Amino acid sequence: MRRTAVAIGGLLLLGLGLSQVGPFRARFEAALHAGGHEFAQVMLSQDKGQALCSQYRDKLPADLIPGFLAEQKALIKYPASGKLMGDWRNGEKVFTDPKRGNCYACHAGVATEVAYGTMGPSLTNYGQRGTSEAVVRYTYEKIYNAWAFVPCSLMYRGGVHGLFTPEETADLVAFLLDPSSPINRR
Amino acid sequence: MRFMFLGAVAFGALAGVVAYTQQSKPLDPFEEAMRQRQMYLETFGVLPGELFAKEGKELFFRKGPSGKTLEECDFGKGKGVLEGVYAILPKYFPDSRRVEDLETRVYTCMQTVQGFKPNEIKRDEVKAITTYIASFSSKAKIQVVPKHPAELAMYNLGRELWYTRAGARDMSCAICHDQYAGQRVRLSPVRSPKQGLGNEWPAYRFEEDKLYTMEDRINFCYESIAIPKPEFYSDVHIALTLYMLAEATKSGHSFEELPFFTR
Repeated sequence: MRRTAVAIGGLLLLGLGLSQVGPFRARFEAALHAGGHEFAQVMLSQDKGQALCSQYRDKLPADLIPGFLAEQKALIKYPASGKLMGDWRNGEKVFTDPKRGNCYACHAGVATEVAYGTMGPSLTNYGQRGTSEAVVRYTYEKIYNAWAFVPCSLMYRGGVHGLFTPEETADLVAFLLDPSSPINRR
Repeated sequence: MRFMFLGAVAFGALAGVVAYTQQSKPLDPFEEAMRQRQMYLETFGVLPGELFAKEGKELFFRKGPSGKTLEECDFGKGKGVLEGVYAILPKYFPDSRRVEDLETRVYTCMQTVQGFKPNEIKRDEVKAITTYIASFSSKAKIQVVPKHPAELAMYNLGRELWYTRAGARDMSCAICHDQYAGQRVRLSPVRSPKQGLGNEWPAYRFEEDKLYTMEDRINFCYESIAIPKPEFYSDVHIALTLYMLAEATKSGHSFEELPFFTR
């Protein structure tokens, strides 16, 4: 009888312990709240992918990678029309807009644009790859959700977060691949 | 003074645009900043940052409702000592029982020593006073070494913030400022704490035509990665500043000429 009571008590304590936020996490959340409501709200509403990347400092353990990639791949949505290459003129707008693609922050693009970042590879003449179905599909999926290819990469998941729609993703693909796009003009 | 300053700003902005459109290769941001700085000196004999420091000096010696000036505040090396204090902050202060960066310390002392109410304290005044005090640490070796338990806890918070990926752009400080240090975002160079990140504030940014403190700069970063900026004088700023400057200390970095002049 007594042994059972002790065991139940022990289990209750264990349960309580596991359900509690650790002291460091509690302190961290308090610091986020000190930064203000809006700041805390965004910092605390990480999705599963962001939480894993934070936890592992952007270097996921090998055994987690296949599951991570599959989950990210499942987040990719496609245009209702099925067309993965849209209008490069609109693609250029989304590419350049700081509130949407903001791609020049990290990538070189049209050769005449000198204010480009160097964190990502240059996209000038990206269209050299041709417009095979495989290239178009890879380009589309990479732009929509970069983490479906490289977990925790610097490149953000613009499609997943709604910075551009599936149709606009197709426009971005066209901006990169269409032979008449200024990205591919010499 | 103000009028002259605005004139200088307008001229600088115009010259910047002309210089920008005439270049065909990417500008070296550091060289461009130094060129602009030289232009200010040759044209006006004064840098915009110095005007803020001068304003800060006046505010430092202004009496608050309690009749006291900020000479009565301990900024880390005892009352009235300003020489080198910026190089040892953030640190723990027993009177407020809090780890504080310089801006927060100014904000605290304006209340506890000078008797201002929080709503009477203007952000621009804190910035100017911070700039004045920081100018006494121009070129100083950074010496931020967390020792007190509260400082160590704050360092750990800062490191966690540093790696937290959040917001619509999936960013954290680390993903750019560690992995891609040495690269550029548009034309702005990105450094890591080990490369001395944080050693140039407070600084006048000619690109923005404003004086930025460290807290301003942290907020600018958060805004540009689609995360709402944290409120000033919060543990978020103090923790991140402590983390960055402690890392810069380990690598033996010094502050730039403060207030600095930068892109």
